[in-house]
Amino acid sequence: MHFLYFDPGLGAMLVQAVVAAVAAVVLFSKEFMFKVKAFFGISKNENDELFDDIEIKDQDIENKK
Amino acid sequence: MVDNSKHASSFRDPSGYIFTDEGIIKRAIFPIYFKQYKALKTTGFFENLFKNKLLIPHTELSANDDKIVIQPENIPFITYPYEWSFNMYKEAALLTLKLQKYSIEHGFSLKDATAFNVTFHEGKAIFIDTLSFDFYQENTPWRAYKQFITHFLGPLVLAHYHGAQPLKLMSNFIDGIPIKMIASMLPFKSKMSPFLYSNIHLLAKFEDKHNEDYRGEAKASTLSKKGQQNIIESLYDYIKKLTLKEHSEWGNYYNKTNYSDDAFIQKSTIINQWISNLNTETLIDVGGNDGTFVRKIDAKLKQALVCDIDNNAVDFNYKTIKEHKESFMTPFVLDVLNPSAAVGFQNAERDSFINRIKSFAPDVTLALAVIHHMSLSGNVTFDMSAKFFASFSSYLVIEFPKRNDSWVQRLLNNKVDFKDHFDFYNLENFEQSYATYFDVVEKISIQNSERVMYLLKTKDGN
Repeated sequence: MHFLYFDPGLGAMLVQAVVAAVAAVVLFSKEFMFKVKAFFGISKNENDELFDDIEIKDQDIENKK
Repeated sequence: MVDNSKHASSFRDPSGYIFTDEGIIKRAIFPIYFKQYKALKTTGFFENLFKNKLLIPHTELSANDDKIVIQPENIPFITYPYEWSFNMYKEAALLTLKLQKYSIEHGFSLKDATAFNVTFHEGKAIFIDTLSFDFYQENTPWRAYKQFITHFLGPLVLAHYHGAQPLKLMSNFIDGIPIKMIASMLPFKSKMSPFLYSNIHLLAKFEDKHNEDYRGEAKASTLSKKGQQNIIESLYDYIKKLTLKEHSEWGNYYNKTNYSDDAFIQKSTIINQWISNLNTETLIDVGGNDGTFVRKIDAKLKQALVCDIDNNAVDFNYKTIKEHKESFMTPFVLDVLNPSAAVGFQNAERDSFINRIKSFAPDVTLALAVIHHMSLSGNVTFDMSAKFFASFSSYLVIEFPKRNDSWVQRLLNNKVDFKDHFDFYNLENFEQSYATYFDVVEKISIQNSERVMYLLKTKDGN
């Protein structure tokens, strides 16, 4: 059940199919380039980045900080 | 403050509402949201987000058939999107995407994605709208997608092309910057980017075409779960890499000021001494640049607010906070000459800076090297600035650069013919005006400089 207390926008709902298709291509090509770079050994070290990646770890098992 | 009163910002979502009970923020949940709430609670969804410090933790106070009441952890000072630096804004956007990805994987979905669902607490962005999670329905698009674009991606991309100023637009467009306006403000080359074309330009076109959805067709559109995950991940990748087209020189700001090393050390020693003598726990540094002087304080501060007009300086501070994992400092962008106003319905949804700082009531206010800017650039009289500083904390540490200080001279020279109007700017007039509101506790001249430090106490303070 959704509470429609704001208008999600019909256009915005429809356009997501196209956005998702573009995103798939972008993500695929990024991964492809990453593999090519890794093959030639020119991948960048991304450890010094300000932000971490999108994954949220399940901390149920390891309770330690 | 009226007790047990519904908070003015809490009326959009029928799942529940926020209220204050003897000054403590609480949240009531209605039966319409019980199913979601119980699922989020029993599956460990909430718990894991608490542990990862992504959602504000809460405790359940009472539960009956009509109402569940929870009490979220207290956040001493709320900052709003239009007060965030570029990278703070980025972190808030990335947090929202993280939560949406995690939600989809666990059978939930964010039903809204406004930037006001996020604030900063203990040095990190944190999601504060506990009731934003709903059940995910298979093969449905993300309802909050447009909101995410107009609240997060749009402002960030505008900042990327135009500098940090567009982030301030959020103080007017509290329901997101209109998508057509975002699209129109982007340069033509943005259409060449498949990512920007689809997420902004195409979205604007679709919204324009279907702006009258009388038949409720929005419900009929479909999108696979994988498709939605791709959207979320590509947004995350793009925003994570986004930079500001404005090179920041704050890294060496203090090399450019007219302080000799000795004077700089003396200034920070004086501040440190005063702060520790007063057993300070909370403070605000008005015009605090990148937080340099607050970091030199030895006393254990519970909460330090460091604001500055310059988005780059705040951003530099924020990066330092992240690198050092500091949890006591909250940086934000503030123009003292035009502090954030109260906005939204009844002017009550988002509180003004003045109200927020008055209820935060810091033990001490630091005003280092700001009085000449307020007086000479802003034409604010000594009496006005004294009244302002006396209105929210009992102690004021203020630095007064005398007329011969090179910065003061520079500001005065900018006035050209109007320069005579600022004859009032001298130590005697300053002391006289401030004496109306404050008593001088201590006064120290900094050696080899044209600057004087004051520790002042409000006359009605205790």
